[in-house]
Amino acid sequence: MNTDVEDLLREGMERFTADLRAPAGLTRRVARRRRRRLALRSVAGAAAALAASAVALVAAGVPGAPVADASVVQRVDGALSTAEPAAIAQMTVTTRTAAFPGEKAVTTTAEEWSYGDQWRSVTNTSAGRPVYDEGFSASSVYTLVNYPARTWARQPGLGRPAVPVPAPRGCAPVVAAVPLLFRPWLPGFGSAASSSPATVARTLRTAISCGTLAVAGRQRVDGIEAIELTSRRNSLISETIWVSPGTYLPVRVVVRSAAGVPVVQQTADITWLPPTARNLAELTVPIPAGFRQVPLIEAVQPGLQSSGPGPLPKLKALCPPPAARCPGTGPAFPAPALSLFRVPPL
Amino acid sequence: MAAERSTAELERFLAERADHLLRTAVLLTGSREAGEDLLQSAVERLLRRWRRFDGDPEGYLRRTLCNLAIDGYRRAGRWRQKERLLRTGPWQTQDVTGDVDLRDALVRLLVRLPARQRTVLVLRYWEQLTDAETAAVLGCAEGTVRSAASRGLTRMRELAGDWNDTAAMCGPNGKRS
Repeated sequence: MNTDVEDLLREGMERFTADLRAPAGLTRRVARRRRRRLALRSVAGAAAALAASAVALVAAGVPGAPVADASVVQRVDGALSTAEPAAIAQMTVTTRTAAFPGEKAVTTTAEEWSYGDQWRSVTNTSAGRPVYDEGFSASSVYTLVNYPARTWARQPGLGRPAVPVPAPRGCAPVVAAVPLLFRPWLPGFGSAASSSPATVARTLRTAISCGTLAVAGRQRVDGIEAIELTSRRNSLISETIWVSPGTYLPVRVVVRSAAGVPVVQQTADITWLPPTARNLAELTVPIPAGFRQVPLIEAVQPGLQSSGPGPLPKLKALCPPPAARCPGTGPAFPAPALSLFRVPPL
Repeated sequence: MAAERSTAELERFLAERADHLLRTAVLLTGSREAGEDLLQSAVERLLRRWRRFDGDPEGYLRRTLCNLAIDGYRRAGRWRQKERLLRTGPWQTQDVTGDVDLRDALVRLLVRLPARQRTVLVLRYWEQLTDAETAAVLGCAEGTVRSAASRGLTRMRELAGDWNDTAAMCGPNGKRS
């Protein structure tokens, strides 16, 4: 039996490990792992060193107090994970488009709400008049109201919020994480959902957990000393996010196109609302009296051909042909929304 | 003083020997994930001193793997004691199937042995080291190696006996016949 067990053990070891191959580039992996650990150690060391003073400073509400990245990022991620499915996110998005020769920069606003899969988005002209009101209901019905054309349409099954596209290869460029705020043209089948607050919250979470954002300090936003997170220097798109020091939820997001392309900036002010009956009612798209029901495509097209009383942002203003790439329309942008979207003659 | 070694040299060495070292690490830890982690830790230690390293890298890595595995076991010891209490019997039922023969069972049983016994058995039966070589790797006396190996094998035999008894009572799918 002695020899049997020894032989069997030997054979068993051979069999157990026969298919094992060491991962390629082991040295590089190890070097990377070491760098990561050293970085973590330095962050942990810095966090430990700052902890006492930072806690005291935060508690005292001292503006500009340094805050350790790791703990802030973790708390923001945690807060978003909790709030995103449970609270109604209300967001006012202001889009300032690029100014081209002979044209003025255009500023438009949109009000958006989201709760789980439900969302609603009202887009206004620069004069503040509604152009489109669209939304996706709890019963999975997409509704679109076209104010300039005085039409509306309803279509089951469309407009489900897009699942954020995973960032490529370890979420290196920040553009992969938060391109979805860029929805300068209106409306799209489901494209509004791409920029819904819930989607933005999810994409922010991705950006935060991927470490593409770093704490930059504190700044007063709507009366609170918000913690400022900014994209790292080599990011393709510059973004700044302010989070509440109390709830660690984002209260403002500013995304700006990278240097070298026409400047487009979006500012989103976010409010997190409890799901009360009154707040939930905001998710319903009201059909104004006297508006005519039409097929969905008709509700979309006239609106695109006549942009109403106020200037709507034109595609040309954002994506000058032929080569310049519009920020946010890269691979991470949900392609179906764009392909369904008919571009009016410029 | 030894000439400085390049990283490319380490890469070449690992290209040749990393598979074998990974297998050793997996046997020492009981799983691929833990084995990879253990190997990376050992390589990291070697990398730190590689430029001025003067010696046998495989021997160094083998020794580091064993020491790290034993240290890791010491740290995890308290948890394993609790884990044993959570188990319903001496065997995990999924091990007793027609698809798993005694050879596999013995290797899986390694994980249940005390760290030093296990390491000695891996060095002896996988690395094919003599008692003297094993003692040199572990930094202990040959007698210690022999007694650890003997106790480890005894335990394996007991477990193998249990396994044979259990397997005899079970059908091909591990159900009682």
